[in-house]
Order: sequence, then structure tokens, then C-alpha cells
Amino acid sequence: MKAQLTRRTFLKGSGTLLALPLLEAMLPRAGSAAAAPGKRRLVCIATGLGLHTPFLSPEQAGRDYTLTPYLEPFAHLRNEFTIFSGLSHPLVDGGHSSESSFLTGAAHPGAVSFRNTISLDQFAIEKLQPDTRVPFLTLSQGGLGLSWTRSGVRIPTEERASNLFAQLFLEGSESEKREQMQNIQDGRSIMDASLDRAKRLQNRVGPRDRETLDQYFTSVRDVERRLGAAEDWAKRPKPKVDYAPPKDPTVPSDFITRHKLLLDMVRLALQTDSTRFATVFFNGSSVAPPIEGVTSDWHNLSHHGRNPEKISQLKIIELTDLHLIADFLTALKDTKEEGETLLDRTTVLYGSNLGNASSHDTRNLPMMLFGGGFKHGQHLKFDPEKNPPLANLHVSILQHLGLEVDAFASGKGTLTGLSTV
Amino acid sequence: MPMNAIARAGLISWGIGAQSFGAAVDAAAPEAAVRPLFAEHCTECHGAEKQKGGLRVDQLPAKFDDAQTAAHWLKIMERIEAGEMPPKDEPRPPAAAVKMVAGWIDANLLAADLARRGSEGRGRVRRLNRVEHEFTLHDLLGIDTPLKDLLPEDGTALGFDKVGGALDLSSVLMERYLQAAETALEAAMANEALPPMVKERYTYEGDGINPNIMRDVGAGPQFARVFFLSNENPPTHLRKFKAPVAGRYRFRVGAYAFQSEQPITFRVYTAELFRRDAESRLIGHFRAPPIVDGDFAPTEFAVRLDAGETIKFMPYDVGYDIYRIGAANYQGAGLAVQAVEIEGPVRETTQGRTSLFANLKVEQTQRADAGRNSRNAAPRFTVASKNPEADAERIVREFVPRAFRRAVSEEDIAPFLRLARDRIAAGASFDKALRIALKGVLCAPDFLLLDEQPGKLSDEAVASRLSYFLWSSCPDGELLRLAAEKKLSTPENLRAQVERMLKAPKAARFTKNFTGQWLNLRDIDATLPDKMLYPEFDEYLKASMLGETESFFDEVLRADHSVMSFIDSDFTFLNERLAKHYGIAGVSGPEFRKVSLAPGSQRGGVLAQAAVLKVTANGTTSSPVLRGKFVADKILGEPPPGPPTGVPAVEPDIRGAVTIREQLAKHREIGECASCHRKMDPLGFALECYDVIGGWRTFYRSLGEGSRVETRNRNQGVRYKHGPDVDAADAFADGRKFHDMDEFKKLLAANPDRIARCLTEKLVVYATGSGVSYADRRAVKDIVESVRGKNFGLRSLVHAIVESPLFLNK
Repeated sequence: MKAQLTRRTFLKGSGTLLALPLLEAMLPRAGSAAAAPGKRRLVCIATGLGLHTPFLSPEQAGRDYTLTPYLEPFAHLRNEFTIFSGLSHPLVDGGHSSESSFLTGAAHPGAVSFRNTISLDQFAIEKLQPDTRVPFLTLSQGGLGLSWTRSGVRIPTEERASNLFAQLFLEGSESEKREQMQNIQDGRSIMDASLDRAKRLQNRVGPRDRETLDQYFTSVRDVERRLGAAEDWAKRPKPKVDYAPPKDPTVPSDFITRHKLLLDMVRLALQTDSTRFATVFFNGSSVAPPIEGVTSDWHNLSHHGRNPEKISQLKIIELTDLHLIADFLTALKDTKEEGETLLDRTTVLYGSNLGNASSHDTRNLPMMLFGGGFKHGQHLKFDPEKNPPLANLHVSILQHLGLEVDAFASGKGTLTGLSTV
Repeated sequence: MPMNAIARAGLISWGIGAQSFGAAVDAAAPEAAVRPLFAEHCTECHGAEKQKGGLRVDQLPAKFDDAQTAAHWLKIMERIEAGEMPPKDEPRPPAAAVKMVAGWIDANLLAADLARRGSEGRGRVRRLNRVEHEFTLHDLLGIDTPLKDLLPEDGTALGFDKVGGALDLSSVLMERYLQAAETALEAAMANEALPPMVKERYTYEGDGINPNIMRDVGAGPQFARVFFLSNENPPTHLRKFKAPVAGRYRFRVGAYAFQSEQPITFRVYTAELFRRDAESRLIGHFRAPPIVDGDFAPTEFAVRLDAGETIKFMPYDVGYDIYRIGAANYQGAGLAVQAVEIEGPVRETTQGRTSLFANLKVEQTQRADAGRNSRNAAPRFTVASKNPEADAERIVREFVPRAFRRAVSEEDIAPFLRLARDRIAAGASFDKALRIALKGVLCAPDFLLLDEQPGKLSDEAVASRLSYFLWSSCPDGELLRLAAEKKLSTPENLRAQVERMLKAPKAARFTKNFTGQWLNLRDIDATLPDKMLYPEFDEYLKASMLGETESFFDEVLRADHSVMSFIDSDFTFLNERLAKHYGIAGVSGPEFRKVSLAPGSQRGGVLAQAAVLKVTANGTTSSPVLRGKFVADKILGEPPPGPPTGVPAVEPDIRGAVTIREQLAKHREIGECASCHRKMDPLGFALECYDVIGGWRTFYRSLGEGSRVETRNRNQGVRYKHGPDVDAADAFADGRKFHDMDEFKKLLAANPDRIARCLTEKLVVYATGSGVSYADRRAVKDIVESVRGKNFGLRSLVHAIVESPLFLNK
């Protein structure tokens, strides 16, 4: 499966990398195919520096709200999305660290000994075990991502569109393929030896240290399983796409191009059914971007301190991103699959872990839900003082993906007012 | 988590007369004797009728093994011992009764903590964190290839990436270990196959020139290119040089100050030709001297370059008006660069050992059919042998004990020999077979986990503790030898080894990683100060900030200065840039030197250092709440609990109409907020006299209201305005008032035990990988006592920690 990616990704300066997926993968197990009705997908996109909510949230609740400046880019998709206001994760505070809990809902992410729980996407993947070339994508503009394993480990992200493209769509040469297969087999032998060593250690440790060794065992076995699936997928040809291999921007300030390329890669991966799950994190930036009219950096502008000049520059950046999201959604809508639009089959959650980045407030989060066959077209307005947990929305999403769950994190039911078609 | 729940909650109190280790519960009063005292003195406010502060004592069970309940009991003990409870206007219980109740709680907390710990030791076996993993591979293989970023970030607990329970293993990590092992082995082979070191001179003569900002002067050996512009990113690449392979290169640059009698500062970056937008890394700031009597001293440095990289130069703080005048007629100062002498690639040494691949031929091989992705064309290396099986065995036997940090048995080595033999038997090349065996070693639990058995640690385990404490890496030959001879754990040898280790260059990793986390210096890049508010901030200043605090820590450690130096000191470390920032005269040049501070200086102690002030602020505003929290946690060792959920943070306002004090005043009045903010905020208010980049301020800079400010910066007027005045006066929660930073520091310094205990605790977490639980208090107290006579010297403290039972037992 991800042989190409890993090879190309990690090869800088080294010749024979073990061909491994860089993503926490779940392998297909017998009988798990087509657990969900149809091929349902989930994409979660978050932006780490908030969205200026006065430009986003409509005044009126319900279906007849007036479009706000930040909703203008989505005007043509009005019946394809729901805008929420007033939502938050209970007990999730800690300023920027709240990004850790965006998809997990775990309490007090800023606390000294915080331990995270599983993220929404990984929870669904565990249950659904999608049999695709890559089980999921965890992407970021550069740095940390949104997906967490059950044991609370943050899954590393891919930030380069070029790597993703190579992984998903570029066929290697014959010798590369041979080498890749050999690397997979080497990897399995190494994992065997590791298990052997761990077994010897296991006999002489107490229960607490055995937990650590158990983690080691589980990790090694997971890698072995994954290598097995990798071997399978490596034998199948990759899909062809009409897209020139992307070039990553080299300057960190050009995060807008990065965002665009990442969204393009997610779109291509969904269109070719190379994956059904993706999380994308726009981490933010501390260097002024090459955008007309913007002279300060994004992080700085997000701490606008109510200064009108800063807010107007912030608006330029945020609107640019919103247009990218709208383009991504439009492309999904224009793609047909078995008589449905791809957007109807893809739930896209977009928002931020900060309701007000200037004060690091984690309440009243900017939050939108697109596609996925939900009944859209309205503004679901909640009272920020007495709102239902944001994770109720996560429960709604999970149910819609076909999972029989009625709780996730702090969510103990589906979100009031959101229904499916 | 391995830590005691009480330690986690940050509730440890030090003001109590600790019972000795292992005090038996039955030595204390029975519960039946204690309960009536609660009924008499406490239940009126904490009973069935009222539960002030949410506490009800009469029904609080004696369940000390429950973290929540234990935390309540601890709080009760602290309050009654401190005399805060019962409240002042209530009848006082007799001293003996207080002692009995406190003794009962103490004995129970201790017993419960020891029981929880059981026979397994304080901590839990942990894996290497990614910083240690990188240094370990560097030291094992004699390489310096970056590896850290191949691994996912580490979990932290108690403020450090050293704690067992927070360092999880997962398949995500496992895969990355495989990749890192591959990259490291490849680098080790590349190192072996390095082309011979060459020394070459380069100049800019004949290279394309931008006449607006550059000028050529002199001829022959005197030829130099002069660069004038400092505030953009000019194409000043040394075009004639391109690193032939990745590696370390030594530079000797003939740079002098042009049209200037004063030296000028310049910066050097890595650069790639034809990729003007390529990511450049700052190599450093240097000083170009003026020519005196026809002579000047060249600038020397060494740096690791990737294949294909060169360097480029930029003068600092000159030439702002160059475009108006043009380089030809410009009379101002510039940076002249004559010849650049480059020597490299320099072969890395393997800690004085012969390399793994010695006597074998390592060759660079080009992939036969490099794919369309250019990265696949990257060179790879192959090692060959005439006696594959014997050589593989020899290398594995040599490598495993070093990688496992201990003497090994045949059984330990067997799986790796088997990996190699199986591959050779299956017809694979020696190279393939060796790689798979070595990768197996580097993915084994014996390499990845720090093996510590309960009870007194073996000498080998002590060797690893020492080296991961002071070097962030594996033990070297001497430590392993002493451990093998079982001589390491004697006090004399421990002392001698700590001294040896602290004197080694690798000790810089301790300073970097400890201060990086204790003082949050790793966050230095988290925010970029606002350009309009802080136009004077630049890269040089940022680099200098870190330089100050790290040099300061080094000096306190080197000279065994008191840990109280972190509160206040009569010296600091400055270079020209930072001295200018602080308004201190007489410091020139980019190198750091010790500078004496006048009594009452604004710059004594770490809380007055720009790096600390920057990481405790965002790029726009500072918050006394966040800075107060920093002081409470990092300096006093009492991290405040998190804010109650649902209370919005104060929204910063830089429009100039309202100060943070006015905004916070409301905050401090809200009932449930007040109790913590009364303690926390004053600690931060004292620091309000420093802005977000650590500059001294008497007024807030505003981008809205306010009067004009005459200051100029880099030839331009500043855009910020004179906002409201700063008021840094406040009072501690106990009523002690201070008017300014100086008085504040004196009040902090009044309790040296508390400061010393806090730092001891942080160092114990860093050194042993587990928190200080209730039962560890005595040992910590002993450590602090043992350095009291040495004026709480930091080096003495490090020795005392290493010699303490906390360090020598699991």
C-alpha cells in the first residue's frame, strides 16, 4: 500500500527505506467489508487560529439567516451545509492546546499530565476497517495533526502534497517495486526478532512495567499486520489521475498554497477511493504570508486585541482559506459516484478549536458541517452558556457513518436539530 | 501514570514536619481519636449544614488510596498546620490536637503512597524520548544527521518529556523507529564513504553582481565584494562553492568592516543556488573587524550542510538608505568579503572508537533506474565483505552491548545473528544482511527502553541514568567499563563521573533540554512579536535571548552558584544585541560574556531575562495571569489548578484605552476565580514592567489611542503610541506588598527553601523520570538540606541528587 509514499517520503539521504505506511492503520479483517451503507467518507478540517466569529455567525437561527461575510464563499452550497454557533467541548480549555481535543473531546488538554483519547476519525476507522490503499490520511500544513490513537498518541502527519501524490498515484519502477517488497519482508523479520526480545524481558518485570512491554508487543504486532496489508496493496496498480504531480511550496510563509494542495490531494484520494478518511489541520503560521494586503503573520493577527487594522488583515487570510474550502466542496459536489454526488457521501466537518483566538477562548466555536446526506441549510444556534457538548455532533456523524454508537467522548447523544435526509 | 496522584494534582505542600520513611500507621493516633476533633472544630462549616469550599469533613472517608480523597486530606493537613483553619475568629484547638490530626493524616498518606508504589519502584520503565533517541544514535554511530523529526512528538508529564507513563509506545512510533534506524545506518555508511577532505579558496570575483546594493573593491588577493543591504534577503550566495556531499564543513571567511572604523555585525545562512526561496538556516551572527594596519582577523565557523548547499552573507543593521544612494557612491558601512576558505567534508568521529564498518569497503551506489521523483536519485551506500558471515557476526557482537548499554549474553545476541545469517543463507548481499541485523538491534526493546529493575539499580542502570540525565544519550566507554566492574555506584566514583560528564561538551545537552522545558525555552518560536508594536525585534535578538539564559544556567552550574541566582543575580550573560535591548552600555560583538550588574539592576535573575519574558507572553500582549502561573509552577513549584471551565479568558485589548490591570480587576472579584487569582496574578504583575520581548517598559504600547512616541527604529519612526502607564506594584496573597520588580524579587528570595525545593523537584523528575510523590518528600528534603551548607549551589545540588536514594533506586 503506502510503499511509494514511505519510500519517497523518507528517502532523503537513504536508499532502502522500509516501505511502511506512515499512518496508524487498521487492517481489514475478515467479514468487515462494507460495514457502512455505501462508501461513506469523513473529512475533518480544522484551523488552529480560530475564525473571527463576528464575520462568520449569522444573527438569525434557522433556515432564513442572512449570509455573513465568511459564508459568502458558500452561497452556492447553501443547502449543503449547516452552520453552528455556541458549541464547545465541555471541560476543554487551555488555549492553543485545545487543538489536541478538537476531535477527541478529552478534558483539560493544557493540564500538565494530560492524556488524550481516541479521535473521531480513528474511532470510526477502528470500527469500519476500510479496505482502501491507505486506511486514512492525517495531514497538516506543517507540524502536528488532529488524529489520535486509542492510547492517546498523536499520529504524525504528512505535510507534503508531493509525497501524498507519489504515495497514491505514482507507480514505481520495477526495481523499486522489488525493493519495496523486500523491505516489507525485512520489516516483518525485524518485528519477529523484536517480539522475541520482548518475550524474554517480559518474564522479569512487575505489572506496571509489563504494561509498557504490552504496549511494545501491541505496537510490533500492529506493524506486522500492517506490513501484511502493505504487501497486498503493493501488488495492485495505482489509480491514474488527471493532475500534474504537485510541487510543494518551499517557503513556510506560503501556507495558502500548502492548504490548497492538501485539499487537492484529499479530493483526489476520495475520488479514486484510495481512502475514505482524512483529517487536515491548518496549524497557523508565524511568518507573514505572501498575500496582497497582509503585512503581519497569521498568529499575530489572530491576537488582534480588537485592533481594526489587524482584524481587517486577518479577514483577508481567513477568507482566502474559506474560498479554498468552498472550492474543495464544490469539486466533491461535481463528482458523481454510483448516481450520488461525492459530497453526499462525504461528511466534511470544518471549524476551529478556538472560539476567540485573541483571548484563547475555547467556547462558542466556529463550526460547520457539509454534505454527508444530512439535512442542511440552517443555522443551528446554541446558547454558549448552556450548549450541548460538541461531541454530540461527533455522535451524529458516527451514526451517520453507520456505527451503532450513542456516545463518544463527552457526547451522550446526537445533536439536537441535526437530522439526516 | 506512575506518579502519585497527589503529585500530579500539584498539591504537594512542604510546610509540614515530615514523618520518616516507612512510618507505620499504627504509630499514629487511631481514627477514633481524631474524628471527635473534626466534630468539635470543623463540621460547623464543613458538615451536614454547610460545606464551605465544597468540603464536607464529617463524611470524608479514611480512604487514602483514593486520589481524590487523599487530595482532600492533604489540603486539610496543610491548612490546619499552617494555622489557616479553623479561621482566625474561631476558637483555636490546642497545639497537641493539631499535631495529632496532622500526624494521623501524614501517616496515612505516606502508607497509602508506599502501598501504591509497592515493590515496583517510583517510576515505570520508560522508552527513550526522541531527543535522547537522536543523540544516542549520533553517539553510537558517529553521525550528526538530524533524526528527531522522523519521530512523532513525545508526551510530557510534570513538565518534562522524561516520564514513563507519558512516553507511550505505539505502532506509529514503531514504524518510525524502523525508518530512523535506516536513515541513521545510511548516514553512518555515508560517513565511511566520505570523499577526502579538501581545502579550497573561493571569492566572489567575476560572479554576477547587483550594483544597487553591492560593490566590488580591490584586486588580486585584495579583491572583496562589499554587501550593504541588511534588511532584505539579497542574493549573496557564494556561488562557486556547493557542498559535494552532506557533511560538516569548516569555514574561514575574510570578512572585514568596509568604510567603518567600528566592527560591523553580519549573519551567515545556509543557502541553495537557484532556489532563492529555499529554506535557509541561520548559521550565526559574527563580527567583521575593520582593517587596522592593513590587517584583520578572519571569521571561523563550522557547519553541517546538505549536499548542494552553500552559504550566504548579510550585514546587520547597516545600509537602510542604500537604494536612495546606490552602492557606487555609498559612504556608509558595509560588509566586505575577500576569500572564503572551505575545508571539508570533515569526518565525524565515533566517540574515539573505530567505526562499525572499519576494514570494510563502503561504496556509494547510484540507483540503476532512479524513478521520476528526484529524491530517489539520492545516493545510497553499500558495504561489502569477503567473509560476510564472519564480518556480520563481528559487527553485531561489537554493536549490541553498546546499543543495549550493558554486558550481553549469547541469548541476547542470538536473534540478530540469526537475522543476518538467514539473509545470507537466502542469498542476500552482505550489505542487506548487516542492515537488517542492525535495524533489528535498533528496534529491540533493550535498545528503546531504559531497563531498570525494582530496588537498588544495577551499576549499568545507574550508568544509563547518569548519561541520560547529563548527556541525553547513552553511556560512553568509561561509564560502561566502571559499570561492568561494578565500581560506579560508590559516592567517590559517582562524584568523579558527574564532574567528568559536566565538563564534557555533551553536557550542553543537559542545559538545552532542561532549561528548554523547565523555563519553556523550547517555545521561543511559538509567537512572532507584532511588527508594528515591536519593530526592534529581529532574529539576532531572538537568538541572543536563548544565548543569555543558557549561558547563565551554564555558569550557575559551572561555578556552583546558588540556585537563588535564578531569582536574582549580580551578573548575566550578554552580547551586543541583548545589551542594546537592555540599555546596558559597553558590550560589543555577538559573543556572550559575563557582565556584572549594578545592585538593583533590572536584569538580575531568570525572570528578568528576555527569553523567559518572551515565552510567557504572546507576540502582542503579556498576561499577568499566564506569567503568574509560570512563576507559581516553575519557580515556586506550586502550579495553580486550571481555570474553572466556562469562564472566558480576558480578551486582550491593544487599543490603548484600558490596561490589563483594569480588565483583570473584575476577574479577581469573581468569587470562584478570586481564591487562585489572588495568589497567581501578583506574581505576574511584578513582571508587567517587561514587555513581550523582555524590553523594560514604563508604558504600554498602543496601536489605537495614545500620544506620539519619538523613538526611531532602523531609520524609521515607530508606529506605536504611548498607551497607559505600567503599574507593576501589587501584594502577595498573604499581604506582603511590593512596588516594583526589585522588591518583588527580594520577597521571593525570602524563602530560599521553597525555591531550592522547587528546582530539586524539577531536576528529580528530569533525572529519574518520575514525579516526587508524598513518600519522596523526605528524600527531597534531605537533598535540599545537604546543599544548604553550600549555599544551595546548583552543581552541589546535581551531585546531591545523583547520590540520593531517589536516583540510585528505581
